[in-house]
Amino acid sequence: MKLSPAKTVAALFGAVLSLAIVLFPVYAIIIASFEHSTDLYSSVYKWFPPHPTLANYRTVLSTQGSHLVSSLVIALGTAALTLVIAVPAAHFLARYRFRTTVIVMGVLLVAQIVPSIVIANSLFVVYHSLHLLNSYIGLILADATYSLPFAILVLRAFMLGLPEDVLQAARVDGASEWQIFSRIVLPMSRSAIITVSLFGFLNGWGDFIFALTLLQGTGSVAPITLSIYNYIGEFTTNLGAAMAAAVFAVLPAAIMLVAAQRYIAAGLTAGAVRG
Amino acid sequence: MAKTGAGVGQQRAGPAEVAAAAHPVRGWDRKRTVVLARLAFLVPALLYVAFAFALPAVYNVILSFERTSPATIANLISPFAGIQNYKTVLLNSTTQDALVHTAIFTVLSLLFQFVIGFGMALLFNMRFPFSRFARSLIIVPWLLPLLVTGIMFRFLFQLEGGAVNQALLDLGLVNHPIDFLLSPHWAFTSVLITNIWIGIPFFAILLFSALQDVPTDLTEAAILDGASGWQRLTQVTLPLIRPVIEVVFMLGFVFTVKVFDLVIGVTSGGPANATQLIASWAYNLSFQQFEYGQGAALNTILFVIAMLAAPFYLWQARNTLRVG
Repeated sequence: MKLSPAKTVAALFGAVLSLAIVLFPVYAIIIASFEHSTDLYSSVYKWFPPHPTLANYRTVLSTQGSHLVSSLVIALGTAALTLVIAVPAAHFLARYRFRTTVIVMGVLLVAQIVPSIVIANSLFVVYHSLHLLNSYIGLILADATYSLPFAILVLRAFMLGLPEDVLQAARVDGASEWQIFSRIVLPMSRSAIITVSLFGFLNGWGDFIFALTLLQGTGSVAPITLSIYNYIGEFTTNLGAAMAAAVFAVLPAAIMLVAAQRYIAAGLTAGAVRG
Repeated sequence: MAKTGAGVGQQRAGPAEVAAAAHPVRGWDRKRTVVLARLAFLVPALLYVAFAFALPAVYNVILSFERTSPATIANLISPFAGIQNYKTVLLNSTTQDALVHTAIFTVLSLLFQFVIGFGMALLFNMRFPFSRFARSLIIVPWLLPLLVTGIMFRFLFQLEGGAVNQALLDLGLVNHPIDFLLSPHWAFTSVLITNIWIGIPFFAILLFSALQDVPTDLTEAAILDGASGWQRLTQVTLPLIRPVIEVVFMLGFVFTVKVFDLVIGVTSGGPANATQLIASWAYNLSFQQFEYGQGAALNTILFVIAMLAAPFYLWQARNTLRVG
């Protein structure tokens, strides 16, 4: 529907208002990260930094480097584990339809509903016995619960759309199951695989609940979310640095929004649930 | 496709089939190899689901019937405690508050997320300059780590020098800053506002894509019939996108009922446990008071509440599940 000029102005006003609501908190973090503590702790809120400084970023870069690396390892590991498990499973569920297929699909749907705190509480005790606390392996195994069911469901839906006659032709030519999967299905599913790995990455990067529960004590593994949380304890000493660390924590999302917007939108529309 | 293979074999027996007929055992082996090769695609996922979903869910129930203490954490199995954990945890007034608060929190969150999200969806469904650009930015809140969002709002809601209080003071809406994070009532509202904010993009984008699928000839026919904007909305658009609305509410319920990171980020459950919701209180019991059994009991209750969505979930997905 083409809008009249008056309605166009009204719509633009609505869009600006919506964006203001949605983006202001992000703006607030960014400007706070450039402020001196004295300005942050005054009783008047500054809508723009009065004396911009990079001191907070210097603090973060000198103290948070290892946490950023931890987050990166966890995020990449979560994306990789999700792909390794989900892509073949989705292929199976899309190609071979048995009664078991229905049951597995149902189980995956229900698995999406299980609250992370339930998983964390149990895994803490189990990991204690398996010596998986404070380890990347243990944390990545837990973090993949965010993305795995969603990944299988999205990939399967995509693979169902692949032309069956191409696969049939390969089968007639004597291609093995593995060849069909690796040479035909994988390349053709590229865009769905990108979407799924981006969400695996974001889920691993943004995880807090498993980091908080499965990384006990003073282990060397500590992602940036956990580090920011520890900052609030010392809020009185360095709010600016906490905000600068938060800017780093939202950086991957920002980059993906610019670089891979189409894949993100696809995942959102497919109903990716988080937490 | 094993069936197809057998059918072909009956029609024109190739060398392999002849060999298989001569050596039935080898033929059976071959078939089994094919089945196993296919199953190999699924096995990692099955093992993972068993380890990361089924085991924790079942073990959590076991844990909830055990007498636990910090000393028993090294053992996988502790003495049986009957329903003592459930009794203790349900008689705890903070648990009762957390259950009631979570219910109110979920209803209000979904209500406001729907109203605001649907409003934005309608807005972006109109054709105006920069609408695509604006729409792409709307999803920002949804991509941020939840804990970071929580801490962001903790900062905005500060008593002294917080942006929200500053805006209210500047606009003359209040004379004194509101103690958002320090009074129990306001702290709950602060967490609620944060959660509504998080859910807006999810509702807006899913409802927007549903609106895009509404055939324009239907709405145009309604215009020709003299239907007002409101009538078009309630009698044409809403009934058409109802399935999506149901899905969005269901996913929103699943997401909200287990909210954890946000509570920790905004208030850490305080002041004096006033903003504990089920998940954050279960965490507190297990990991701060070291009452794993009680934490597990409350987790089981949370699990059951979340699972209320399962039948709807499976029903919505019935077309996906159908054997082809």
